Amino acid sequence: MSAFAGTLMNSSADLVTRVCQGDADAFRLIFERYSRPVISFIYDMVNDRGLAEELTQETFVRAFRAIHTMRTETKLSTWLFGIARNVARESLRARTRANSHVDLEDKSVMDLSDNKPVPVDGLLSKELNELIRRSLAALDEDKRLVFTLKVLHQCSYEEIAAITGFSLAKLKTDLHRARAEMRKRISPYAGVGYEV
Amino acid sequence: MKCEVCFEFLEEFLDGELAAEDREQIDAHLITCSECSESLAVLTAEQEIFARYDREVEVPPFLWTRVAAHTVSENRVAKRGWMASLLGRSSLAGALAVLLIVIVIGVVYLLSNHKAPEQKLAKSPSQLPNPNPVPPAVQSGAPKRDVLASSHKSRSRVRSPIVRAVTDQSDVLSSDLGYLDMDEQDTAKHIEQSKLLLRSIKNVPIADNDDEIDVTYDKALSRRLLNENVVLRRDAEMKAKFPTKTLLTDLEPFLIDIANLPDRARGEDVRVIKERVQKTEIVAALVDYQDRGTNNR
Repeated sequence: MSAFAGTLMNSSADLVTRVCQGDADAFRLIFERYSRPVISFIYDMVNDRGLAEELTQETFVRAFRAIHTMRTETKLSTWLFGIARNVARESLRARTRANSHVDLEDKSVMDLSDNKPVPVDGLLSKELNELIRRSLAALDEDKRLVFTLKVLHQCSYEEIAAITGFSLAKLKTDLHRARAEMRKRISPYAGVGYEV
Repeated sequence: MKCEVCFEFLEEFLDGELAAEDREQIDAHLITCSECSESLAVLTAEQEIFARYDREVEVPPFLWTRVAAHTVSENRVAKRGWMASLLGRSSLAGALAVLLIVIVIGVVYLLSNHKAPEQKLAKSPSQLPNPNPVPPAVQSGAPKRDVLASSHKSRSRVRSPIVRAVTDQSDVLSSDLGYLDMDEQDTAKHIEQSKLLLRSIKNVPIADNDDEIDVTYDKALSRRLLNENVVLRRDAEMKAKFPTKTLLTDLEPFLIDIANLPDRARGEDVRVIKERVQKTEIVAALVDYQDRGTNNR
């Protein structure tokens, strides 16, 4: 029988227990299940593909070494995102702010606000993807963090609070402001927006 | 409910974070207020745009290999039996080595003294020409490193037939005995040949005029490697060698594509494979796998 048969039957809690008991295959399944959201989240935070790969590796290595300390009531995805957040934050702090910061009035961002049609179906146009990427990079770290977790990864407020350690009030405020800033950048292109 | 209140809770409403009671109130207000409904529609449209955001970020094939090298593979090595673990400890291994050396030096010393008993009785050691039965370093109290070096030579001269019988199997097994099994050797050889094939494809010059390229050799090699790959991948899966299985799974599409090229392939077809080899960094993953194998040995 394939080693991967029954993957769907493995709950995250079961996998964690198995890893703690020394089952290496269970960790492989955890990686397969969560590596994509983790690398996407880290990429959203650091805006660098190569770095995101390195930091994803670091995230899973740290997770493996600390998995026996994970509390049973903690959701695995929340725990992994928490590690990824710390890894990304350490990396961001090591970089100069100038390298990652895109000015609000960045010409290259605002130049995209032409009269192109609003994409309705299918994938976004390359330009809009690029605009979102750059707009995300322009948010300050806390706002980018809550925006990414809520809007791009559909985490609940409770999960975001667990991942970030922010109070509910702070995360709501940051999220509202992040949405407003993102709207300001993308609305001329995408045709959405209203005064907040 | 006033529009200002509704507007304040609109994002939480959209996020599904409101309590049931508040949600019902917003619902009721939205039915009657076109302005707030429009605001919600804008927020929803915005959400849909972000939901379709494509980062074009993939988990590269080699990432698990790297993670495994620092996690599950390390653990497996650590659990490779109590004997291996004990012998692996440098302090114990060092102590055993020193003990062995001392015994060898003692034996050599006794044998050499046994050959010249008369001279020893007649003169003091300082008066005699040195027959060199004992390494000079031992006599002069030179640093320990030298003692070890010279005694190592003595040890190698007097090693037992049993030791020789075991170590002389080097022509049978290319690496450490008992560590690499035959499958691993086959896989290592397969990885090496695949790496050379992909490098050859990666480096093939493609002219702009779309001339045909002779890939007869690469194609034949790829067909052979493809057959091997299928067998090795299944073996790796059966034996739960997941890093190996993943790597071979990632490698297979390249082998299929090269094997399916015509003998004289269009430049464009080769270019597509070449670009994919570069983009996916499959060669780097193969090299990484080989490096880890070398380090583990």
